[in-house]
Formats: sequence, structure tokens, C-alpha cells
Amino acid sequence: MCDHGAEDLPPLADHPEDRVHEPNQQARVTALCAGLGIAATATAVALGARGPWPVLLPLLTLAVLHAFSESQIAIPHDQLASSAGVMLCMGAMVVFRDSESYLGPMLVGAAGCLNIPHLMGWEWRKLLFNASMFAFAALAGTSVLWFIVGSGHAPPAELLLASLPAALAYAVVNLVLVALVIALATGQRLLAMIGLVSKEYLIYLPFAFLGVFLGELYLEYGVVLVPLFVVPILVARQAYSAYLAEKEQHEATVRILIGALEAKDPYTAGHAERVATYVHYIGIELGVPASRLERLRLAALMHDVGKLVVPNHLLNKPGKLTAEEFTQVRRHEEVSFEILTRIDFLAPVARSATTKAGEFAPVADERDQPIEPHIVAVADAYDAMTSTRSYRKALTQEIAFTELQQNAGKQFDPRVVDALISALRRRGEVHGRGHEAAVHHEDAPEAGTGSAGLGDLMPDTDGSKVAR
Amino acid sequence: MTRASRVLIVAALGALAAAVTQVLDPGGPWSALVVLGAAIVLGEFFLLRPGRRAPLPLSFAFVMVLMRAASSGDFALVLLGALAVAFVLRPARSMSARLVTTASRLVGAAAALGVYLLILELALRPDEIGVVLLALGAAGVVQIGVDDAARMLRARHLSWSIDGRLADLALVTSGMLMSVAYRGTDGTEGMGLWAPLLFSIPLLAAWYSYKRLASIRRTHEQTITALSVVPELAGLARSGHAERVADLSVALGDDLGLGRHELEYLRTAALLHHLGHLCLDDPEVRGVPIQPSEVSDKGAEILRRTGYLSAGDLLASDSASLGGQILRVASAFDELSVGDAAFADAAVEALFSGPGYVYDARVLGALERVVIGTAVPARF
Repeated sequence: MCDHGAEDLPPLADHPEDRVHEPNQQARVTALCAGLGIAATATAVALGARGPWPVLLPLLTLAVLHAFSESQIAIPHDQLASSAGVMLCMGAMVVFRDSESYLGPMLVGAAGCLNIPHLMGWEWRKLLFNASMFAFAALAGTSVLWFIVGSGHAPPAELLLASLPAALAYAVVNLVLVALVIALATGQRLLAMIGLVSKEYLIYLPFAFLGVFLGELYLEYGVVLVPLFVVPILVARQAYSAYLAEKEQHEATVRILIGALEAKDPYTAGHAERVATYVHYIGIELGVPASRLERLRLAALMHDVGKLVVPNHLLNKPGKLTAEEFTQVRRHEEVSFEILTRIDFLAPVARSATTKAGEFAPVADERDQPIEPHIVAVADAYDAMTSTRSYRKALTQEIAFTELQQNAGKQFDPRVVDALISALRRRGEVHGRGHEAAVHHEDAPEAGTGSAGLGDLMPDTDGSKVAR
Repeated sequence: MTRASRVLIVAALGALAAAVTQVLDPGGPWSALVVLGAAIVLGEFFLLRPGRRAPLPLSFAFVMVLMRAASSGDFALVLLGALAVAFVLRPARSMSARLVTTASRLVGAAAALGVYLLILELALRPDEIGVVLLALGAAGVVQIGVDDAARMLRARHLSWSIDGRLADLALVTSGMLMSVAYRGTDGTEGMGLWAPLLFSIPLLAAWYSYKRLASIRRTHEQTITALSVVPELAGLARSGHAERVADLSVALGDDLGLGRHELEYLRTAALLHHLGHLCLDDPEVRGVPIQPSEVSDKGAEILRRTGYLSAGDLLASDSASLGGQILRVASAFDELSVGDAAFADAAVEALFSGPGYVYDARVLGALERVVIGTAVPARF
């Protein structure tokens, strides 16, 4: 997303008509695109008339590469899957510096609009908007760079330094125009949109540096080095896109599992995702490193996989379970454990899926005791208590907190319990009676014993306490 | 020893050696050559692993730079030193494997240098950038070719695939760029060591991406396989059923000429074809036996709802697609043969003798070829 084309952002994603509801907004977006287009054309004509014209070979090379790299955006909204557009525009700013042809970088920028899906669908507003937006962004960067460096020989270090403000100018035009069109299309506030997209500005800088080298190499050795420069970058980006695509596929597979669980037990709809959210909160609170947060998230999403083997009528049984049924239900932990163990990435935290995970045992050597299972256990118990199940209504958040605190040090790891409570308090989130998403379970009993939550498994005698 | 510690050792040794040569021979070429040698060693620890392609070391690019930076004698000296260090630090498999790798690197580098010098020798204007690039490109390709050849020799099997060759392209183009920028051509000024440093960034980005890709791919495959055994753990299917049906489906699909993507969908659908069973109520509870079509439709519904449209369509009981037919035949075959090769013939016969509208004739033909013919079901 080095460059935000209109493609990058949800409101103008493939079907703008889905998002742009009011005809009024439609008209405003069209007016903006047309206005920008006219302004860009007029600027280009004025610059062309004043001359000089850019040299054809670098112009074509860089423009084609820009168009190509913009067409390649496989998965927007990710940092490294970014387009190399700013690099090519920066390269053009360096290459055309000596001839002082402003038209060069502008045309190279405009070529970035040539995105194949947009062309195939003849989405003229997107084409026009992207062409003018990129042209103006490149023009802004060019003006800044040339103003600072001037013409004639400049040492590479000076160019590198000057590329910073130039990239900033490019980014500002890019971001503001894209934020503007999104704000117009969705009726959101412009400033909010700018805030949203500007977070990604930093990624421009390395590409801007690379662009300076690209330009210098071009000037030194000619056009032949340009593909050598661009190909590895495109290959790296392609590899990253392939990774993101595979990750997406994996997410879909995990959703299959959750979908199957929810088909069995509608009361647990959203349970896995909520546990994943709480687990994330706790992980951040406890300073779990980012590399392990992902494993934690997947363990949370999959911790109930074993419930697939529990017959539906037991999973949804409103009353008490017989001893035999209870054994049958308990088998799900074994199965969950076995399944998670089969996945190398999750094997170290497979204990997340068992009630043993929750049984807190302070040990001398903490390195042998990954904290993830404790985190999942607490998050699981908390969500089980604060959501309505087939056998009882949701408890309030305060009851759930008290329950967790009372069992901290016995069943739950106290650090984890404290982390969850403070994370939720700080975020001001309230879960539990009346706040849970599935409020339609009005007929659920007030209390009872059932099977759906790990914390709820023990045959219960007094009915008021649920998580044990 | 982890990669991080190996990298640290080489970096520290390289820096030390470069400093010493700088002191002994100020302004001489040797400190740069020592750094390039260290880069070659480091490159041996960073292997691009795109998908099914065998790993490709980044060191090939740095060998190209060394070619451009050093005389032939110095090249040989630095290369031998680098390979010796790499030999010691190489993640140990067997000693013989390390020896073979080192030998193939030596042959590759020597052949590459030979080709490079030959092209420059034959060229009328060896300083022309086009000529230099041609020689460098050829040297890069030769290194990869020797590596491929060594691998085929060791496997005693001739095979070459286009899979993952984008990585080769990135490696060779980066190597060419680094080498030209290192020394310049035809009177241009070079960037020196900045060139390999700067232009290895995209290669490292590619290395990182391929690494993440491989790891998520493995996790994904294991997740699907793990899900596929849940019906077996629940006692709803014979042990190994999903895996066998998946293997057979892919073999049948391959025989009938399905493409790679279709085979992938087919494999997913086959592995998960009993998933729907888990979501249906017990027959005792609902009082009606479960129909196979209910199982497939429930599974298809879940797959479709979770974004696996193609695999879901294959699974649906009314699927008329070839993939759906394959899945049905493979599953029925495994039920009939109870997963035992001894019953294979009988099972094929039983499927053939059923009414013609139940199973697709093309698929039955393929089944006969795959199961009874010489072909062993190929793993996908």
C-alpha cells in the first residue's frame, strides 16, 4: 500500500456502488474525480507547452513499471504487499531532474492508474481519480525535491536526504486526496479518514530511498539496470502476497471448524472469537511477544475442536448429565488435545484445550510451563460465564470477575486473572447479562449444569456457581 | 546452533578479519574481499525456499560480486576460505551431505567464474555494460544449474520444474545488480560494498516471505488433516478413511486431467467430506437414520458458509461436477474395500455392477486404471 490507489481502501473497493448509497454522495464523488481530472490535464498541458518534454525511453520504462506494479497489488491493506509506486515516482524525480521536465514524473505517476481490473470493468471514475491523484502526488514530490537539490550534479547523500521531504509531499497529496474521496463517498469525516490512512506513511520512506538509487543507477548505467532493480522487489512482494493468501486460506479452514461447532451448538455462536479477543487482551497485558500472540489466538479459536465429537443432544442438554453422559462429554478434551498436538505450530500449547490447563500449579521452572494454556483457560471461563448457554442465562461481569478472583491461585493463574480484569476495565468493556450478543435466548434457564463451556463441566450441586 | 548464533559468529569473525586486513594493508582491496567472503558464508544460511522448489542460497549472488571484485587467484582464495567456514558452521546433517554440498558449491563457483571470464574474453568490448551483465547473468545461471544438477545426481532422478523459479530470477538479477554497482563499468564509479548491502534487502524480504509462507502452509495442511480425523475419532468413520479418500480422489482427478487448483479443492473436500456428519443429531435421538446425502449437504453448507465455495460445491450431494463425482466414487470405494488393498478388486467390481446412474462412467474408468492398473495412488 505504498501508494494508496482508490483500490486500497474499502469504500471505493471493487463495487463502489455498494458503498455509495446516496445519489448525492455519488454525484459528489463523480464531481471530485472529474474536477481532479480536469485540473491534472490542465496542469499537464501547461507544463507540456512550457517544455521541455521528457525523454521518451525513461518515461516509458518507468511508466510501464509503475502501471505494472500498481496492477500487482494482490492484497491491499498490508504493509509489505505494498506497491512499489513511490519508488518508481521517486526514480522519475531523480531521472528527469537534469532536463527539468516536470511532465516526466507527472506522467510516470499517472501511469499508476492503469490497473487491469479497473480497465476491464471500465471504471472510469477510479481510473481518472487515480491518474490525477498520482500525477499530482508525483508533481508535489518533484517540486520539493528539485527545490531542495536544484539542478546539476548533486552528491547521492544530498539526494537521499532531500528524498525525505519529497516523499512526505508525495504522501500528503496521496493521502489527503484518497481520504477526501473516501470521506465524500461514505459521508465520514475527512480528518478521521486522514488519521486512518496516514498511519501507513512510514512505509514510504524505504521505498523513497530505493527510488533515489533507482534514479541514480539509471542515470549512470542506462535503462538496462532498471529491470534488475525492480524484479527482485516485485518477486519479494509476490512472495509476501502468496503468504498472505495462504494465511487467508488457513483462516478460512479455522472458520470451517468454528462453523461446524456452531452448527452443533448455536448457543456457542461467537464463543471462539470472543475467547480469541480476551486472550489477545490478556496476552498484550502480560507482554506476550507478538510471535506468540498469533499462536495464542489460534489456540483460542480451536480450543473447543473436540466438541465436534460430542453428540448434539448432550451438548445442548438443559438438565443435568448422567455419569455416563458426563464421561462422554469429557472425552472432548482428549480429542481437542489430540487435534492440537497434530498441528506443530499449536502443539506446545495443546494443553489449552484441557481443563488441566486451568489448574494452576506454581512451578519452580516457569520456562517449562507455557502461560498460553492458562490464558485460554481464564478467557474461556470468563466467556462461558458471561454468555447465555442452553442451561443457564449469562452471569454479570462482576459475578464473573469475583468467581475468577476467588479461584485465582487454585484453578486459575492469578496473573492471568488480574490481566484480564484490568484489560477489560481499562477498555471499559462490559460483558454478561444483558450485554452478550445473543440476547434472544430468553427461554434459557437461570442456572443449571451443562456441557458447553470448559469451566462448566463439573456436575454441579448448588446451581449458583458455574465455573469451577 | 541456531541461525542467529551462526550469523552472529560469522558477522563478528568477518568484522574482525576485515579490521585486521585494514590495519595490515591500509587502503588495499583485502578488507572488502574479506567482507564479501563473510557475505558468502552468511548467504549459505539464508535459503530461499519457494514452495516446491529446492532451497536456493543467497550466497550465489555474493559469489557473483566476488567475481567482479577479485582477480581469479584472490577469488579462489576467498571462496575456499568462505566455504571452509560455511562447512564448519553448516547446520549439520551427515558429514557426507555437507561434503557434497560444499563440493557442488565449489564446482558451481568455478564453472561460473569460467563462463564469466570466457564471455568477457570473447567479447569485443568487455567493458560494455551489456557484455558485463550477460557474463554475470550467465555466471548466476551456471551456479543454479550446477546446484540443480548436483541435486539430481544425488537423487539419481532427472527432474526439472518451473515451480518457484521466480526466486531464481530475483537472485540472479540481484546478483547482477550488486556486481555491476559494486565496481561500475566503463569508467563509471562503483558503490563498493554498499551495493551488496543495499541490494540484498529485497532478497532478504523474499527470504522472509518464503519462510512465513512455508510455515503457514504447513500449519494449514496440518489443520485440515487434523480436522479430517475428527469423524474418525468420533467413531463415525474408519480410521484413515479421510486420508485414503483424499489420496484416491487426487489420483483419480489427476488421471482425469484436473488442474492443480481443482486438485487442491478436491483434496480439501475429500479430507473434510465427513465433517457434516458431526453436526447432525444422533439417529437414536431423531429416530431416522442418517442419509449419506445429508452428511454431504451439511458439510457442503459449512464449507460454503466459511468461504470454501469451490470445495463446498464439490461436496454437495447434487454436485454434477467431475470433482464431485470423483469424491463420491472414492468414498464409496473406500467404504467397500474397507481400506484394505486385498478387497480392491472386489470393490471396483461392485461399483461397476451398480446401476449406471449412480456413479460416473469416466470416474469408474479412472478408478479401474488407478486401482487395478499399475499406478499406485500418487500422493499430492
